[in-house]
Parts: sequence; structure tokens; C-alpha cells
Amino acid sequence: MSQNDNTTATPAATKNLAGKYLTFALSREEYGLPVLKVREIIKMMDITAVPQVPAAIRGVMNLRGKVIPVIDLRIRFGLPAQEDTDRSSIIVVDLLAGGDRVLMGVVVDAVRDVLNITEQEIQDPPQFGTEVATDFMTGLAKVKGTVKILLDLDVLFRDDAAAMVERAA
Amino acid sequence: MSHTPDASLPQRISDLLSRVACELVLTGPDDDVPSVARTALTELDALVRDGGLVGVDAVRVALDQALASGSVRTLAPAVEALSQRWESWRLAEQLLAELGPSSASADDDVPAAATATVVAAEADDPDLEAELVMLQADPELAGMFLAEALDHLSSIEAVALQLETSPGDRHLLNEMFRPFHTVKGNAGALAVTSVQELAHAVENLLDAARSGQHDFGPSGIDLVLQSVDLLSAMLRDLGSRLAGQPTASRRPERETLIVALERLLAHGEPAAGTAPVVAAVPTSVAVQAETAPAPRADRPADATGTPRQRAEDLPGQTSVKVDTRKLDNLVDMVGELVIVQSIIHQDPALRVLEERLARNLAQLRRITTDLQRTAMSMRLVPIRQSFQKMARLVRDLSRKSGKPVDLVLSGEETELDRRVVEDINDPLMHMVRNSLDHGIEPVDVRIARGKKPTARLALSAYHQGGHVVIDIVDDGNGLNAERILAKAVSQGLVDKHATLTPNEIHHLIFKPGFSTAEKITEISGRGVGMDVVRRNIEALRGRIEIETTPGEGTKFTIRLPLTLAILDGLILGVGAQRFVLPTFAVCESLRPLPEQVHEVQGQPRMVRVRDTLMPLVRLADLFGISDAVQDASAGTLVVIEDANRRVALQVDQLLGKQEVVIKSLGAALKKVQGVAGGAILGDGRVGLILDAHGLLELKLGTSAAA
Repeated sequence: MSQNDNTTATPAATKNLAGKYLTFALSREEYGLPVLKVREIIKMMDITAVPQVPAAIRGVMNLRGKVIPVIDLRIRFGLPAQEDTDRSSIIVVDLLAGGDRVLMGVVVDAVRDVLNITEQEIQDPPQFGTEVATDFMTGLAKVKGTVKILLDLDVLFRDDAAAMVERAA
Repeated sequence: MSHTPDASLPQRISDLLSRVACELVLTGPDDDVPSVARTALTELDALVRDGGLVGVDAVRVALDQALASGSVRTLAPAVEALSQRWESWRLAEQLLAELGPSSASADDDVPAAATATVVAAEADDPDLEAELVMLQADPELAGMFLAEALDHLSSIEAVALQLETSPGDRHLLNEMFRPFHTVKGNAGALAVTSVQELAHAVENLLDAARSGQHDFGPSGIDLVLQSVDLLSAMLRDLGSRLAGQPTASRRPERETLIVALERLLAHGEPAAGTAPVVAAVPTSVAVQAETAPAPRADRPADATGTPRQRAEDLPGQTSVKVDTRKLDNLVDMVGELVIVQSIIHQDPALRVLEERLARNLAQLRRITTDLQRTAMSMRLVPIRQSFQKMARLVRDLSRKSGKPVDLVLSGEETELDRRVVEDINDPLMHMVRNSLDHGIEPVDVRIARGKKPTARLALSAYHQGGHVVIDIVDDGNGLNAERILAKAVSQGLVDKHATLTPNEIHHLIFKPGFSTAEKITEISGRGVGMDVVRRNIEALRGRIEIETTPGEGTKFTIRLPLTLAILDGLILGVGAQRFVLPTFAVCESLRPLPEQVHEVQGQPRMVRVRDTLMPLVRLADLFGISDAVQDASAGTLVVIEDANRRVALQVDQLLGKQEVVIKSLGAALKKVQGVAGGAILGDGRVGLILDAHGLLELKLGTSAAA
């Protein structure tokens, strides 16, 4: 669908995905983010809504003097909306958007552990065919009997950013 | 996204460093060095050694120390030092990249074309390669050399312009000689022969001039200015080549100029009345000097540090280079400090205070306020550089058009937010051009009108009530209201039968597409100017006013907020949300009586404020807030104004006035209409800053009548 300037999806095995991941829960799934991308984890706090933005953007928040956007990952993934619980957290990630480093908050249901995932534990991500763009899923990790979906948020939000810019133009 | 394997190398190295740092965060000083950290360091070693990066010796030394550390206790500081060295290296690389290509494009996005691998241009001049060798060996030094040289050239230009008005001034000649000497020396030390040769030729001329052997005159000044232009271009080319972009050789221009300089020195100034000696420098260079975003000369200083005071200006004052990102971070942190300090101060638990605690808190507050003021002031720079560029521009335009102009500058030390200085440059240049082209009459016309043949253009800057005011005054034609109106009508910008005040007629020149120029002159172009000027000024939250007397002259007054970062805002409460409305957009606020609100079916709600009827907009409707007050008479109306249009915003209540620090919402959210940014309010929450112009557009659309 979208013409990425990354090479078209080759199996995840060619990239070295092993390393430390921060895992979190969203709806009934568990996901993993490379720990190097994680700036900090905070409990749910006041988020100021911003009008006329896609529903996935909950708004903005104050991160020690910086105002950063907050994404509702649940909505972004098309999952049914749910009330925040007292385990809901915001993971602040350090992304590369168009060559700039950008801080963003991501709302998740609960934060789990930091796991060291080895190469053997990682499999290629599911291919849903060309309809659904899933480059942001870099692999599936089977750790201690559970499956975690490994994410590359740079990819996920790069496409979002492009779409928003287009829409605004 | 990377084209060559090496382009991702720096990022990989940074990532590895982060990983090591990450690991160390989780360990205590007495723990064993985590094996992951060890592995990462070893990998780093391989990358740094074999990756083909230049100038990383300092990094290597730090890396060796880290590898030699046996325990976390020694490893942690070693890694810290390593990170710092690495950051310095990356900074130097970044600086070189920022010096940008030497093409005369005002667009900063051009560097992305680094994929071009054509190196053919260099075949013209094999020395070009040789020159780069030493610079490439030490990127940080190269960056400094380029930035300083450009800085020197800037001051040389200023002195040259001064010399024009007071020729033969020994002191000025010395002032011009010294920087050339320095640039020549530095270039020589770094084996940049092209720069060295040209600088040397000028230096010879100036040396003879300052010792009285040569009579320095207009030709000399011309050649010096041309040399400044060419040297600037050459330095920028160097920057481009270091960043991997090819540039064409400037050897022909260089040699022509050197010959001209030598000839001038040998034969002396031509007698008055004969044509001054001018080297045939291709117009590309001349045009570049005029239209290239002169901020380039500022930008190296900007990228690595600001403010930079010249040693000559302020005896005994030293300056340091500071990364602007660190500066911005500092300002952010101070902002937060002020807020937290304020929250503590207002905490009810502190009501029952013992005397000493109360005093200390008051002291804390005083210090915090001072700190904030100091942090904010670090962003301020004098407008001098901007004015200086105008001086050069006026000189060149005056020559080209044959209209003698006396430029008077005042208030150059007036300080503004550094970004404002950058952004105000283009509008100022355009207005100066306009003035010279349309405003100022040709000499014969002036004489026929009984005016002095030399026109007068005055630029002044000063502070006034929390604003910076810049006046541009000329004693030329003045604006011709009839012609403006006629033109606007003929272009369909205004209805034939509309009655406009003189002021409104004058403001028509800011309409897009407007131009009264009979023919498009080379100088001022195609009538796109004033519209863009106004928009640029409005983007800085400024305003522009016109005063004019036909036959006598025109005065443009630009009013800008003192700092872009701080805004005086009215806090509005709508439901549970908080908004900040800039006070300058607010006309008044009121609680309306039910009979003032008119609702006609199918029509937008209106409210009558005294005798004016204006649209009424519920902010809650505009922003989809459900828990707000419904009835206008139960809430509060705030009347906002933008470009003579008014709208009454309905909010729940006014919560007070506050100075807030404007935070950008980030690229993703920049396009939201009606919202100009975010502000951190006293309770730590983010309040959206409303943009009156955007709100009006949203509600009223872009109407032709304004």
C-alpha cells in the first residue's frame, strides 16, 4: 500500500532483534518495546485533549516542562475502548520521526517486566497479506509460555505522522 | 533510509552507548561489570576502530579507558566521559552539516540531496581535495574555523560600510586589516590555500592602506566587499564539501579578484570621475551575498552557541559556546521550577507557617523569579546583526538604482528573542527594498520637488511597553491612496462601492497579489512581498502599522512581543478544561443579559455588545466539551478581535491572568486550527493556547471583507 523507503519486508530474522524489551499489556495481548526506546514509565496523569485530531491521540501532557503528545495505543490498534484502570500507565518513548527525535507518551493497560529476549525465542511476525500494513510488528517472541508481539514504534508512528500531514495539507 | 553502510554507523554507536549506560543504571558500584555491557563495549571498539570515522581520537582514548576498567565503580565514570566525547564528535558533524550548501536557496531542506554523488566538479580544481585533508582530520576544529571566519567577514563588512562614510580613517582601516590577517593565518595553518591566497591579497592592500602608502578609496571598498562575498561563498563551499556535497570551483572568480586587488595596489585609486575599478565577479556570487539568508553567518554561532559578543565591543567580557538545545532545556526546567515553587507556595498546609520557614520560602520565590528572568534573557540577542545586513542591502540597492540614500540606524543594541531576529530579517529586507524602489524618488524628481537629492531612510528599534518596536521611515513619495484603491478595485480585492478609511486603504497593500508597480523591477519583484511581510510578522505575534503623507514620506511601524516564549494570557475555564487566550487578542469580557443574545433559526447565534452585533461561539461546541455551561447568560463572554473582525467566545468562567510559557505541541499537532500551542498552568496541567486568528477563521472562514 504505502511505498516505504525501507526495503520491502524481508523476514525478521535478518535483523538482530534480540535484546531487552519492556513488555506491557493491552487488551488481551502482550507487547514488547525495545528498552532503548523507552524513556520512562509513569502512572496515568492528566492529559489535555486537543480538538480535531485523530481519536488515537488522546491529547498532550506535561512531562517535566515539556508538552508531549499522548497516544492511546488501544484506539490506535482498533481495539474496543475501555476505561482506564489504576494499572493504566503511560510509557514515554523516544522516537525518530522524520529525522528528529520526538518524545511521545503511549497509554497502555499495564506495564509488565523488562525481559531479555534471545534470538531463538523470536519468530517472524504474522503476515496478514498486503491489505494490512504490519511493518511495525517486528516479530513474535515466545517467552515462558506466553507470546509477546514485538513492536517498532518508529515505523508505527511514521506512517501516522505522514497521514496527518497529508490530511492537514 | 540509509544509502551507504556508514551512514547508520553513528546511530549504531549511539545505540550501543545507550545500552551500556542502561545496563550500568541497574547495577551498583560494587557489582560486577555486567557481561552485556562488556560485550557492547567490545562491539563499540570494533565499530569505532574500523568504521572509518574521522576525528574520533578523543573518543578512542575514552573508549580504551572504559575497556580497561575492571569494576563498575571505575567503569561508570569512564562511560560517562566516553559519552561526552562521542556527543562532541556528533555535534561537530552536525555543525558542519548545518553550515549547509552554498546554493542561494533560502530553503534549509536542500541538504537532503546528499545522495548526489557527482564529483565531476572537482576535476576542475585538484587543489580542492587537498584543502579538505586537514579539515577532515579534525571536524571540531574545522567547524570552529569556518564559524569564526564567517564571523570575521561579517565584521569586516560592517567596517567597510563605515569606511565609505569616513574614508581614510586609520582606525577603521586597522579594524579591517586585523580580521583579514587572522583569517589568512588560520586558513594557512589549516592549509586551505584558496582562502589564504585571497585573504592575503586583500591583506596586502589593507596593509599598504593603513600605513599610508596607498590611498584607500571607493574602488578599494568595492573590492573588499567583493572579497568578503567571495570568501563567504568559498567558506560555505568548504562546509558543503566536508559534509559530502560537491561544489564547483571558484578559481576563476578568485583569480580575477586577486588580479584586481594587485592592480589597485600597484596603480592606486583611479582619479575621481573615472569609473572605479571593479572586478568582473560573476553575478552569481553577488546575488548570493544579497539574497542568501544572511542568517547563515549567524547560524554557526547559533548552532553552537549564543550569545556571542565580539571581544572588541565589550572589553573584559568573555563568552562561552553553549548548545542551544541545552539552553532550551534549561529554560524548560526553570519554567517547571517556577511552577512547582508556586504550587508549594500556595499549598494550604503551609498556612500555619513559622516565621523562618515563611521567610525562606519568600526568598526561594525571589530567587526563582530571578532565575527565570535570567534564563529567558539568554535567548535575547541585539538586533544589530539584522540592521547591519540592511546597511549592506541599502548600499547595494542604492548603487544599482542610482538613487543616493542616507541610511540612519538607531537602537541596534535593542534586544529581541533570537528567533525573532532571524525571522524578522526577510520582512525588513523586503520593506527596505520596497522603500527604495517605490518610496524613494529618483534624484531629479526629488530636486524638482524641492527635496534634498539624497534620500533618507531611518531604521530604529526600541522597547515600548513590553514590546519591541521597529520603525522604518523614508522621506520619499508616501503612499498614494487613490492609486492603491484603484488598483485594489481593478484586481477585485475590494468592492468598487466600499467606503474605506485612509488607513484601511493603506492596509490594502498587504493583500495577497497586490502591487502598484507599473513594471516589475528587478529590485522589488512581483507584488508578493507585502502580503508575505505581514504574514511573517503576524506569525511572530506582531503587528504592522502605516503612517504616510503623500509627497513627504512613509513610516512603517512593526510591533513585536518581547519574547516568543512567554505570553500574557487570560485563563478560561470551559467544563473541566482550561484554555489560555493571549490578552492582546481580547477586547473585553462580559456577562450577557438574556436579551442581548439573539438566536434566529438557521442563523448563527449573535450577541449585541453595546451597539455592535457579533457572532457568538461556544468554545465548548468548537472543542467538543460536554460538561460546559449551556446558556450564554450563565457563562461569560470574551470578545476577541483579529484584523478588525470580532467574535464573542462563550466560556464558563474567567480564571485569571497569567504569564505562561508557550510550549509547542509538536509537529504532529501543529496543524490544529485555533490552537497555537500548550502552556503549563499553575497546577501542572497543560492548557491549550488559543489562537484568535485561527478561531476566527474557523468560525467565519476567510472573508474578503477585512
